Amino acid sequence: MDEEEYERMIQRCLRCSICKWVPQIQVKSQKYATICPAMDEYNFHTYSGGGKIILALSYHLGRIGPSDELRDIVYKCTECGGCAVSCKFLNTLEPLEIMCEFRERLVKDGCGPMPAQQKYIEAVKKVNNPYNEPHESRKEWLPKDIQTDPNSKVLFYVGCTASYRRKEMAIATARILNAAGIKFRLLEDETCCGSPILRTGVKDAFLESMNKNLDAIEALDVDTVVFTCAGCYDTFKVDYPLHRKYNFEVKHTVELFDELIQDGKLKLTTEVPLTVTYHDPCHLGRNAERYEEWDGDVVELMPLVNINIPKKPKRCGAEGVYDPPRNILKSISGLKLNEMERIMEYSYCCGAGAGVKSAFPEFALKTAQIRLDEAEDTGAEILVSACPFCSTNLQDAIKEKGSKLQFYDINELILMALGMDIKKVKEKAAEVA
Amino acid sequence: MVLEEDTFKEFEKAVGVGNVNDGEVITDAYAYNWCMEMFNYMDGKEPLPYSSRPKAVILPSSTEEVQKVVKLCNKYGIQVKAQSTGLGPWNCVSSNNSIVVDLRRMNKIVKIDEKNLYCVVEPYVSGAQLQAEIMKYGLNCHMPGAGPQVSPLASATSMNGPGFTSPSTGHSSRNVLGVEWVLPDGEIMRLGSWGMKNNPDWFNGDGPGPSLRGIMRGWAGAKSGLGIFTRVAVKLFPYPCSTDFELSGHSPNYDFKIPDFMRLYVMDCKNFKRLDEIIIQVEKEEISFMCSYLSGLAVMAIFANSFEQMMELMAVGGMKAPLVVIIAARTKREFEYKQKVMDYILEKNKLANIIGKQYTPYPVFYAEALRSNLGLHGFIATGGFQSTLGQCDTAKMCLNSATLNVPAKQLFIKKGAVANDFGEGVWMTSYESGHYFHAESPTMFDQTNKHSVKGTAQYFERSNEIGLVKHLGAPFFVEGDRWHDMFGPHMHNYHLWLRKIKEAFDPNNIADGGFYITPGKDKKGALKK
Repeated sequence: MDEEEYERMIQRCLRCSICKWVPQIQVKSQKYATICPAMDEYNFHTYSGGGKIILALSYHLGRIGPSDELRDIVYKCTECGGCAVSCKFLNTLEPLEIMCEFRERLVKDGCGPMPAQQKYIEAVKKVNNPYNEPHESRKEWLPKDIQTDPNSKVLFYVGCTASYRRKEMAIATARILNAAGIKFRLLEDETCCGSPILRTGVKDAFLESMNKNLDAIEALDVDTVVFTCAGCYDTFKVDYPLHRKYNFEVKHTVELFDELIQDGKLKLTTEVPLTVTYHDPCHLGRNAERYEEWDGDVVELMPLVNINIPKKPKRCGAEGVYDPPRNILKSISGLKLNEMERIMEYSYCCGAGAGVKSAFPEFALKTAQIRLDEAEDTGAEILVSACPFCSTNLQDAIKEKGSKLQFYDINELILMALGMDIKKVKEKAAEVA
Repeated sequence: MVLEEDTFKEFEKAVGVGNVNDGEVITDAYAYNWCMEMFNYMDGKEPLPYSSRPKAVILPSSTEEVQKVVKLCNKYGIQVKAQSTGLGPWNCVSSNNSIVVDLRRMNKIVKIDEKNLYCVVEPYVSGAQLQAEIMKYGLNCHMPGAGPQVSPLASATSMNGPGFTSPSTGHSSRNVLGVEWVLPDGEIMRLGSWGMKNNPDWFNGDGPGPSLRGIMRGWAGAKSGLGIFTRVAVKLFPYPCSTDFELSGHSPNYDFKIPDFMRLYVMDCKNFKRLDEIIIQVEKEEISFMCSYLSGLAVMAIFANSFEQMMELMAVGGMKAPLVVIIAARTKREFEYKQKVMDYILEKNKLANIIGKQYTPYPVFYAEALRSNLGLHGFIATGGFQSTLGQCDTAKMCLNSATLNVPAKQLFIKKGAVANDFGEGVWMTSYESGHYFHAESPTMFDQTNKHSVKGTAQYFERSNEIGLVKHLGAPFFVEGDRWHDMFGPHMHNYHLWLRKIKEAFDPNNIADGGFYITPGKDKKGALKK
């Protein structure tokens, strides 16, 4: 978003409140009609997508200046993009992009990010991961019996969270790749994808991470990079190309494994008699839609009425990855999928994104608990997703709430359907941890 | 801190920690609203989209908390402006001595009485939420043209409320039943059967005893200038067709399974004379779910989800006097009957339905019609949109008003202040099967362009003057002292009565009356008691 577009957009919020709800024609109940975690928690209009656009305008006009209060409100947002989907059902505003740009401006003015976020950004600079774990232990998740191939054209980009915190996801991915006979390699010197930095508005440090990763990958003869982390996937797929083009394909494991199942290369033969519900991660769903290049003109059709020629693509979340995880779940014999009310492009956020989990852990947990309520109401016993951030936050909320739900990463369910003992994977993850 | 520390603490004690904020970051967002720039210009101020900044924003969670807040406002001489979902400049304060009471935490559907066809809601239940819940009982509710995201309580108690389904669901003022109302002095008033001493219930708005509905809201509502409404009962209606609501695909191009017994008619009546005759014929039969006259451009807009898509519908836009009718039914027999009636009217008037022949809308149009989302399409051309007129009368009178308005609008189109709809952009709907009609003139402008804002404001003023000079009745934007004092002398001096009501119900002038009316003053400038 360039300067001109930013200034044009921040003047155009209608204050209609549509950003607070799922798209109006998708409202199915009173209980699950909302889309904005920040509004659900903090209530003041200022916290909504529209409210933050107004703040951007007020800041731009000098009506308000940098302050701790401003910073807190602007950073109490998971950047889930739900507001943008609802707004863009009819409108052409970009609440999420305005939010990202506003954070960048606050950072430039010394009013961001939050101290806890600054801490993990420093950690990324120092040890290449936001958890401040030793870089040299990044591959410790890797069980000895996993086969890797240093000459493979497929790279498994593990990501920081699966490497250090959600090892079961990394292990499950590697085992499934082995089971399907897909040779893969790992980066010798993997570094944070930069997503947690980018979402806080610290652009320079993000670009540094991006360049390190792309330099490292492009030095290899790789044609596909596979991700089990929705955040890394989104960042590579959507954000990197805005700054630097690359010439390899990116796939989330749900896309790859869905293809392998459809092609008969991955045979899910073991019955998994569970009732599950699937949580769409924002990074894999609505935000994983690429920007389409548009090189058209804005033509004044008549005074005050402009038209884009050719038609400018509107990024509404329709191209998110929705079918592959559902196809996988439907391929598992004995498994029953009960959908929640808010799904796909209008899914409710888990609450962890954009640095919220580190800066405002209580807000993150409360948001996850709202999502748990919705999952519980489906009658499912298992909550399944495909993102390590969602996994961590939703599991934390399950513990906090004392919910009977169990959480599984979708790859763990695939392992079960492959006949592997999931307990052993979990134990192995604990062991390598 | 804008409030005195002690005052802040008292408010906080009333509503709980974290529910009062007087910081500039929170309050500035409440100073902003849609079309505020235009009202600022009309008031001789810089055309910015901000009102005065409220002294604080307060979030009560119950009627009792609202009452405490209002009593504190009386104690400290602070004015109060309440808002529900908050769309529109009338949600903004009109002085720098006002707080905003944001009723967001009052969001319960208190009761659904499916047998007696009413429900009771708090201020922050949205129309879409209410509709989703009552659809489970096969019922529907009235929603204003502002859309399903706004508050049925606000519309029923405090606003002018025509909607696309008005032929079958009426006007907001006709939907309100029992009311719970925190008066400006902090006392609680219960209207209708909810005010009965024994066995109070919500089913009736006008008794026992004299009805106060006229005082409470009149035609256009007091926009919080006469206190705060905390719970209201509104009428429910049978849902017009099957409540199976099957959407698939992704936003914004959802696919929708059109219910079996639902049909759209779009017919060009060619001129207003014939339109007047035909719309009355249709409405007399009491068969329509929706029945609206829309200008050609507006018909294009309701069928499109972007301006580019709208431009692909030029063939539809060429109609001179399009009548848009939706019929819907719950049984095959009812549907066949309604179709037969429509066939007869079409044949009698030599009309052709273009739907299915010249044009077939995307199925999502039907979903939006059922969920009252069509009004929001008014924004897709320029992003800025507001309506002049606002007549509520016979179809002939409404169309007369629309006709007289055309040259005024064309003048401002020529000046490049409002977007070119040939001056003909009008939406007219029937209320309650033709019992009466509503007309407004949606006007597209650019809220970021000062020339456009000023010109649109001038056009609105001109349009109001035409309403006055040509005896067309009070339009939408007769709000605030200036306009009431201008229209009142020509309309039975209603402004004097309105002011007396304000003074009687609000002896300390606590309810912010910027978009209603303010009390009279004596020669020394003090509030008349």
